Amino acid sequence: MIKQKIYTFSIILWLPIFIFSQAKVKDSLFQAEIEKKVSKFKTQTNFKKAHLFLLEKNWDSTLVYTMKQLSVSNNKELTNYCHLFRGHSFREKKLLEKAKKEFKLISSEFKFYYKVNINLGEILLEQNEIEKAIDYFKEVEKLINSNQFVYKKSSVLSNLGLAYAELEQHNKAEKYLLECKKLEEINKDTIALIGTNNNIAILHYSKDNKKQAFEFFKKSYKLAQATNDFDLKTTTALNMSIFEELKKNIPSALSYRKEYEKWKDSLNDQNKVWEVAELEKEFAVKQKQKEVYVLETENKLKAAEINKLLYSAIGLLVLLASGGYFYREKIKSNKIIVAQKATLDELNSTKDKLFSIVSHDLRSSVNALKTSNSKLQESLETKNFTELDTLLNNNSAITNGAYNLLDNLLNWALLQTEQGYFEITSMRLFIIVEHVAYNYKPLLLDKNISFENTVTKKDLIDADQESLKIILRNLLDNAIKFSNENGSIKVYSRNTNGTFCELVIEDTGLGITENTRLELLKDTALLSKKENEDIIGTGLGMQLVKQMIQKNKGKFNIESELGKGTKMIVSLPKTAS
Amino acid sequence: MDNINVLIIEDTKAQSDALAKVLNSNNYNIVGIATSYKDALDLFYNNKVDIVVIDIFLNGNPDGITFAETINVVPDASRPFVFLTSSTDRKIFERAKLTQPFSFLMKPFNELEILYAIEMAVEKFYAQNDVFLSDEEDTVISKEYLFIKKGKSLKKVLLNEIIYIEVEEKYCNIITEKEKFVILISLTKILDLLDNTMFCRTHRNFIVNSEKIVEIVPADNLILLSGGHKATLSDTYKTIIKKIRTLR
Repeated sequence: MIKQKIYTFSIILWLPIFIFSQAKVKDSLFQAEIEKKVSKFKTQTNFKKAHLFLLEKNWDSTLVYTMKQLSVSNNKELTNYCHLFRGHSFREKKLLEKAKKEFKLISSEFKFYYKVNINLGEILLEQNEIEKAIDYFKEVEKLINSNQFVYKKSSVLSNLGLAYAELEQHNKAEKYLLECKKLEEINKDTIALIGTNNNIAILHYSKDNKKQAFEFFKKSYKLAQATNDFDLKTTTALNMSIFEELKKNIPSALSYRKEYEKWKDSLNDQNKVWEVAELEKEFAVKQKQKEVYVLETENKLKAAEINKLLYSAIGLLVLLASGGYFYREKIKSNKIIVAQKATLDELNSTKDKLFSIVSHDLRSSVNALKTSNSKLQESLETKNFTELDTLLNNNSAITNGAYNLLDNLLNWALLQTEQGYFEITSMRLFIIVEHVAYNYKPLLLDKNISFENTVTKKDLIDADQESLKIILRNLLDNAIKFSNENGSIKVYSRNTNGTFCELVIEDTGLGITENTRLELLKDTALLSKKENEDIIGTGLGMQLVKQMIQKNKGKFNIESELGKGTKMIVSLPKTAS
Repeated sequence: MDNINVLIIEDTKAQSDALAKVLNSNNYNIVGIATSYKDALDLFYNNKVDIVVIDIFLNGNPDGITFAETINVVPDASRPFVFLTSSTDRKIFERAKLTQPFSFLMKPFNELEILYAIEMAVEKFYAQNDVFLSDEEDTVISKEYLFIKKGKSLKKVLLNEIIYIEVEEKYCNIITEKEKFVILISLTKILDLLDNTMFCRTHRNFIVNSEKIVEIVPADNLILLSGGHKATLSDTYKTIIKKIRTLR
């Protein structure tokens, strides 16, 4: 029971030593050698990677890349390294049989073949095949003094000693362990020394050499006290307590036991503290992580909010801008509407005025006819034929005037509604003037006005026939109206070289003032100022003339001298030949 | 020279009377006054009509346009026509305008205007524009007649009755069996418009109605025509001898 305990202990003690020494080897010559190989076989990326993973203690990846390397290259040296890596990796992964196989694949010419032996020995030792292990260690021992040997000699010796102890060859074991102890003392390897002392103590104990055993246990214990290694402290204390107990030295055993408990507790505590710390750390990390998540989500939310705000701001801005734009447009259109309304109002009022004047004129005309008719009846009864003739002439003059007014009214209405037929054709100006003047022959004769149409027969103009007739009718009507008796009216064309033919209707009548002239030439508004109560009409005729000329793409002008006469000038486009 | 036959289509008696009076006084012959579409067709197809004066509205319907459309269906039977209207309603005008050639006269009109409108209708119908108003010409030639402006009105001469035409610079002396008169027309135009199977040029200045040739005397460069008329035959145009079947 006790024995077993001690053995367990010794093995526990031995393992850390082993690992420690191996790690040290990696840093030294062996490491340098591998680095050299790596740089030598630069192109072998798999090998390089395997090496890197080995250093990182990533055993699985090391296995994968060494396998790749083995399948790719046949280089003996690299193959050996690879097998070494693989063996080591398998060993770390506790696949001992596989590890053994890998180690055995390494050829004996390999520079670090002793390492293979050490590894194999150690594996066998672990597997309790002690004799075979001893063989391997012996092989190593042979090389122990060569300068290629970079391994910790003491550990080999220690292993050999342990192996012999296992085989109960106590003398051999003692020899190796003492040698090992000597080496360790030289190297001042305290921790290893504790183990070795302990091991020697166990050896002595098993030889029943209790006094020496106690000495070594004590040494080991004291050395352990000086270190910070709780494990060692615990085990050595435990060993001391067991040993004292066996010596029946109960109080001492108890104090060791207590010390053991203490160390164990502190170890546990430490472990627990460490665990707690670990947990706390984990927790803290988790907490932090959570916080980070929360912050992240918060940030996301904030970003979303910011975006939202930005978009809504942009939206508002656009809304505002368009609102402003539409507002301005509205103001603009309002202005236009107001202006239009003003002109419409004006037009409407002139229209109203026009209607009142027209109806007034018509009313007086019809009234004149009425009175004239009763006079006619009277004359007919009294058979006063001369009176009858003048009355009839008078009536026909009245009806002519009224008819012209109504005709203008109709044409004006048609012009406003654009319902009339309008077609511009080529025609001879002379003929049209003749046609229109024909209707005024009686009137001219009545007022004894001489009339002359001297328009050149060749003058061809482009116009709508009916509207041209309306223009001429009105102008002639005006000319006759404003002419004194025995006056003269001349119609002629002034053929300028341009694309227009100027038709002049010239009378020797009253003439007009400059103001009236300008008023007449104005584009809008009907002239309804009655300058000359008796003769000036509604102005509808002149309005019609201007609009008709415009529609015929012509121009209108007036030349006048008060008291001498007026020239009404209509320019119409010549027919392009 | 004969008067021109006019058919008046007008439903208002006062207006048709006035129109007839004006036309009569200008030596137009009124062949009839129709007051409806049916009457108008009867009168048109049963009389020799040269020109039709059509009131667009007959009893409130634009039957005048329908009449024009009807007679236009047979181009050879159609005649020049003038629309009379008192309204310038655009829709009616658009329809009336489709009856090409289109000439119209607004009511009320005076003598000059109706005469002018008739002349225009003839010019347009026979596609010889700007004849009667120009100083250079006064004759429009149709397949059957010469329409000649005499004073204010038009006269017609049956082409069959012409014996020969003697060209004198811008003028043409027209010699018929009954009379002799001068028209204003260019030689190229008259040659172009006359039916060249009937009228042949025999000399620089002579166009002869081949149906009126009595005898050709090549030796004397002379063509004897009916009614004792004579025309000169120049060497350039002697080829007509082969073409023409003389009376003998």
